[in-house]
Amino acid sequence: MHFLSTCLLSLLAISNVYAASLTLQSPRFTISSPDATQLRSEPLSTTKKPSPLVLGAKDVLKLTFQVVEEEGKGVQPHQTFLRFYDEVSGEEGIQPVRVTTGGKAKFELNMAKPPASLPPTTSTDPLKVTLIIGSFTHDPFKVDLFDLFLPASQPAPQHPDEPSFHSLPEIHHTFRADPKLPPKFISAAFAGLVLAPWVVLLGLWGAIRPTVPHLFSPNILPFLATLSAFEGLLFWYWVDLKLGQVLLYGGILTVPTLVAGKQALSTMGKWRTGRK
Amino acid sequence: MWARWIAPVLLGLVSFSFVTAKSSTGNSVLVILEPRLDKDNFSKFFSGLEEKGFELTFRSPKDPKPAVLEYDYAQFSHVVLFAPETKSFAADITPQSLVSLLSKNTNLLIAVGPKSTPISTLASEFSLVLPPPGTPLISHFPARSEPATVIPVPVSPSNIFTSASFAPVWFSGVPFAYQSNPLVVPILNAPAESFASDADADSGADALVEAAEKGGEGLWAGSQLGLVAGFQTLNGARATWVGGVELFSDEFFQKELPGGGKPGNQQFASDVAAWTFQENNVLRVDKVEHHRVNETLPGKTYTTNDQIVFTAHISKYNPDIASWEPYSDLTDLQLEFTMLDPHIRTALPPVRGTPGAYSVTFRAPDRHGVFKFVVDYKRKGFTHLHSSTVVPLVPPRHDGYPRFLSAAWPYYVGAISTSVAFVLFSALWLAGDDRVPGGKKTSKTE
Repeated sequence: MHFLSTCLLSLLAISNVYAASLTLQSPRFTISSPDATQLRSEPLSTTKKPSPLVLGAKDVLKLTFQVVEEEGKGVQPHQTFLRFYDEVSGEEGIQPVRVTTGGKAKFELNMAKPPASLPPTTSTDPLKVTLIIGSFTHDPFKVDLFDLFLPASQPAPQHPDEPSFHSLPEIHHTFRADPKLPPKFISAAFAGLVLAPWVVLLGLWGAIRPTVPHLFSPNILPFLATLSAFEGLLFWYWVDLKLGQVLLYGGILTVPTLVAGKQALSTMGKWRTGRK
Repeated sequence: MWARWIAPVLLGLVSFSFVTAKSSTGNSVLVILEPRLDKDNFSKFFSGLEEKGFELTFRSPKDPKPAVLEYDYAQFSHVVLFAPETKSFAADITPQSLVSLLSKNTNLLIAVGPKSTPISTLASEFSLVLPPPGTPLISHFPARSEPATVIPVPVSPSNIFTSASFAPVWFSGVPFAYQSNPLVVPILNAPAESFASDADADSGADALVEAAEKGGEGLWAGSQLGLVAGFQTLNGARATWVGGVELFSDEFFQKELPGGGKPGNQQFASDVAAWTFQENNVLRVDKVEHHRVNETLPGKTYTTNDQIVFTAHISKYNPDIASWEPYSDLTDLQLEFTMLDPHIRTALPPVRGTPGAYSVTFRAPDRHGVFKFVVDYKRKGFTHLHSSTVVPLVPPRHDGYPRFLSAAWPYYVGAISTSVAFVLFSALWLAGDDRVPGGKKTSKTE
């Protein structure tokens, strides 16, 4: 007796795998609008998906079917879930369906009061709806029912730190515009205006025609050279030098200038007194 | 004389060849195994770790020694906690001590189970919500001879794994529901048809529907559940939570899949341990350089509107040779130049020709102040990179402005004219002779 029961038990255990398989009987869906007019009502086939279903913001989708064994006997399986899956965003929602002991199941989706298990949807991507039926005593059974377009919902809430885990948008600094300068030809024109007195000066000098007979005299030339060097040093300071450097070079240049200047001016004085 | 150096050098060479730490943080592992679980049931997993070079030390949860923390110092580099049903631990293992281990850069691999223990309550601090006690994960798919609580789970590819594809892995335990937390790194998600339930007969169907209608956490179901979840802390340590310890057992390593073939448990367990023990996906910033475009040394200060070159050197740990190698494959590294808020954020592309160098040239903003070069790189599965270098940005000095502007030409011409005129006049005056030839009386007496 004991041996027989263990035999039966092991048979049952094995028979789990080769148990009767389940199937759906008379699956049907109905979409109705809030004022109870039927928009669409069709039987569902487990082998071919119907055209995608579209639900408005207040429509109601009713799904009815019966879970039966192959012989037609109604069965209440352990797991009867509807899986709503958005392939594009990867969001998923699982909704259990209440099944009676006779295997009859009814599911209602009222978009005016959607269940919390519905995933966030966009208006362009459909939800793939799959019916998952699992049981301890029968083979499991899964069927893709239909594609469902729901109105767009709020997106899934995001953790405030989440954007820092992806590339952030680039920030470019708006620089102040370069200070504007007047057009160059106006500057050139006024520079030319500044040069106008030279015309007068050169003209008058041309009329007088002064001569420089003592230019290369050894008494005069050094002084002229050092004065020119000072002007050159001033130009060099404007272009390149710093204050300390120009004061240093100027100080050094002062010594020959004083010597040469004393020489030049005393020579000029001698000439004037000598010739008087 | 040089003979004295031979012995230490040889000793150093010999010891180097024996000790190769595969992990970037050390190779000492403490395995806390509860007495109910036999070490031999996990022999393949542990011997795999030992072959990689880790030193394993075993103890039971109630043993006071070896302690994980002694005088506030972490004693081991990694801790494996396979004690899903132990309710009382020795004094050194508490949720607080595990968290302080993480802050000391010790990595954790924790397995939980359907029973509720003090350690499983810690999971919610990691944004992982466990189902009520006594509800393991079950799945009726695919049809198989094992009970519904032993589930083959397909593995989706991720940057955590070293191989590109896995055979499904056997799993038995509890799922986690994820709360929103970007530090969580999902490693293995539950199959879409699975759910958590304590039933073992079809009569439990009504309980499932009522659990879903209860609201709140309701029903743990679907592929949004996690079975193995990693967590990357901000200071670099990693913690991995596994929903069931049998994933690592020899029995699951060998059990044949329903469709035939060996499961991927061994490779999966080895990869999970490699990620958790900071072998894979470990990055660090070696050094950071900045200078003006035509210079090589960093400036003490920069001027507004300067062209600045910033270079970052990044290495990745290579566990095969146990050392850090320059890594040039980061494509979305960004540099921020911030003073309180980022003023400039640009991409930091890798430099071709120099491995590990990422460089960008940009123009400093025209606001002066104290700025920071900030490199802040956080991606799921990788260690976080943070680098912040402070640099002052000063306005131009009195001689830093543009000179010789076109608007000043009249002034330049005027001043130069004055100089030239002075030289000419002094030449004329010094060298000239104002005598009228013939000895006539001059009008000037100078």
